[in-house]
Amino acid sequence: MSRRQKKDLLRIAAAAVLFLAGLLIPGETARLILFLLAYLTVGLDVLREAGEGILHGQLFDENFLMSIATLGAMVVGEYPEAVAVMLLYHVGELFQSYAVGKSRASIASLMDIRPETAAVERNGSVIDVDPEEVAVDEVFVLKAGDRVPLDGVVIEGTSALNTAALTGESMPRDVAPGDEVISGCINQTGLLRVRATKLYTDSTVARILDLVENASDKKAKVETFITRFARVYTPAVCGAALLLFLVPSLFMDGRWADWGMRALSFLVVSCPCALVISVPLSFFGGVGGAGKRGILVKGSNYLEALAKADIVVFDKTGTLTRGVFHVTVVHPDQISEEELLRIAATVENASDHPIGRSICAGYHGSLALEQLSDVCELPGQGMSAVLDGETVSVGNEKLMRSLGVELPDCPHAGTVVHVARGGVYLGHIVISDQIKEGAEEAVSALKREGVRKTVILTGDSQAVAQEVAAKLGVDEAHAQLLPAQKVEQVERLLNEKRPGGTLVFAGDGINDAPVLTRADVGVAMGALGSDAAVEAADVVLMDDDPRKLATAIRISRRTLAITRQSIVFALTVKLLVLALVAVGAANMWWAVFADVGVSVLAILNAMRALRVDGL
Amino acid sequence: MKKVFKLRDLDCANCAAKMEAAIQKIHGVESATVNFMTQKLTIEAADSDFEQVLSEAERAIRRVEPGCALIK
Repeated sequence: MSRRQKKDLLRIAAAAVLFLAGLLIPGETARLILFLLAYLTVGLDVLREAGEGILHGQLFDENFLMSIATLGAMVVGEYPEAVAVMLLYHVGELFQSYAVGKSRASIASLMDIRPETAAVERNGSVIDVDPEEVAVDEVFVLKAGDRVPLDGVVIEGTSALNTAALTGESMPRDVAPGDEVISGCINQTGLLRVRATKLYTDSTVARILDLVENASDKKAKVETFITRFARVYTPAVCGAALLLFLVPSLFMDGRWADWGMRALSFLVVSCPCALVISVPLSFFGGVGGAGKRGILVKGSNYLEALAKADIVVFDKTGTLTRGVFHVTVVHPDQISEEELLRIAATVENASDHPIGRSICAGYHGSLALEQLSDVCELPGQGMSAVLDGETVSVGNEKLMRSLGVELPDCPHAGTVVHVARGGVYLGHIVISDQIKEGAEEAVSALKREGVRKTVILTGDSQAVAQEVAAKLGVDEAHAQLLPAQKVEQVERLLNEKRPGGTLVFAGDGINDAPVLTRADVGVAMGALGSDAAVEAADVVLMDDDPRKLATAIRISRRTLAITRQSIVFALTVKLLVLALVAVGAANMWWAVFADVGVSVLAILNAMRALRVDGL
Repeated sequence: MKKVFKLRDLDCANCAAKMEAAIQKIHGVESATVNFMTQKLTIEAADSDFEQVLSEAERAIRRVEPGCALIK
């Protein structure tokens, strides 16, 4: 609690004691004095601010409404009501300020990744300085348990880094000299010497904190709607209060005091606080909670748009697949798989081509390179060499045809590498990208969340795209697209989406900036450390797990649901109480509940948005 | 020019909304956001008008919530 809040609490307690004493004490005069004292203890500030408000032309502010309602109640002679309304109004305000402060603090601790100091090597000794004072290319030291203060490159030592605070991923990441380290991670085991590659303000941790903190600057539509609504609601209820007072007292029974109390109760209910506060508070919690799970949402509006995801478009390579090529199938003719791989790897050993490298990586035995001679690279076709006295050719269909070798059909998608020895076909090896772990689950989770359509857009071949789409259960796949054609596809899909729905594009952030911007929500995956992707995207998944997309949608849905609950609940109670007050079935106590009570409940509900574990 | 200011003792969400509306109406303001949760005001205005805009914004803030102050 801040000092101001403590002062408020003391004042409320004092007023409460005076009020209770007033209720219990016999004797009219003594009661009146106690009530007045209690009223002034809590109400003086409100009256003063109401006065200032009137001078500034702020007619419908809360202080003004509360002052009129309570002063009116005293004129009518309802002293306990007047004091109670003022007292409870203060309790509500205090609770609100406490809850908001609490929520701010818990987001700060959720995102507790800010490094306190950096141990920099300067003039032969290690000194602790503020991370902001470290220059690029300075060297800092990380002991076990230290938080990485700036982005950098390891120059000495090996260790495991805990990236959980950034990515929500609990598997430690191993680092050795030459590897990049990202600020905000925790060094778990060894001693590391790291050369800073960025200033603190450009480092990952500073940028993440900035993003999460300022996400609520970009307001959700529902928030704008509610603040507009509040601007109409308060004057409308006040107008209704005036009519409720004047019409029946002038033209019907003339019971001024009774209708006056009802009208004053209206004023108490007319405060829009519960409505207005629940929206930003929920979104703040939702964005903070998502951050905790390694999902950076750059604005409340994007969180809102995610909740309405109707079509999800994926880039393939690096998003649903690993983007790393591996030997996936070995189809030998006459010889063993091992033998085929060994022959291919021996010949490709000299090659720098990615395909050659992945074949070598796929063979784990030892190579007899001394048997190899006359190695020759045939650009666009493959390699040939003499191995154990016979000519071996390793390459594509074109190469085989030029040698006059018969080829069988291969049903597998991917790049097919054929092997022939002395003009005899030995078999083929299929190299392909591998589907990411969890990709299938990611797609089915999206379907469960009500995403109507999933689409793959890729620059890769049709066969590969179809195979991946079929394996993962993706509805559509469009292949061999240039970046501009991807944008065209996204525009076509934007026209197909359901009214009110949104199109989400998820890519690895490389070369897809135009699509990320064109989609309603652009999601960059595995973007840890990639500045361009963080810049272009609306939502950033810190690790490259595609399942996080469904998590993000679940968090956004729940945040929106909480917001809706609070709005519907607050409005229902308020309207109900207004109706009951109008017909005389409820008194000012109910009105206080409809104002303060509803605010408190709406705030408590909004704070649930922060808890995202298990989503 | 776009600048961010801290608002001290911004206690009421409805007041934040009112401030935002009032500041957006100030002549010369290109965009203005009052963020209740982070207690920050972001103003975008032309460099030449900025001083003028800022002092009017301060007045608007005082009008809506007398206890709230802009920290430069």
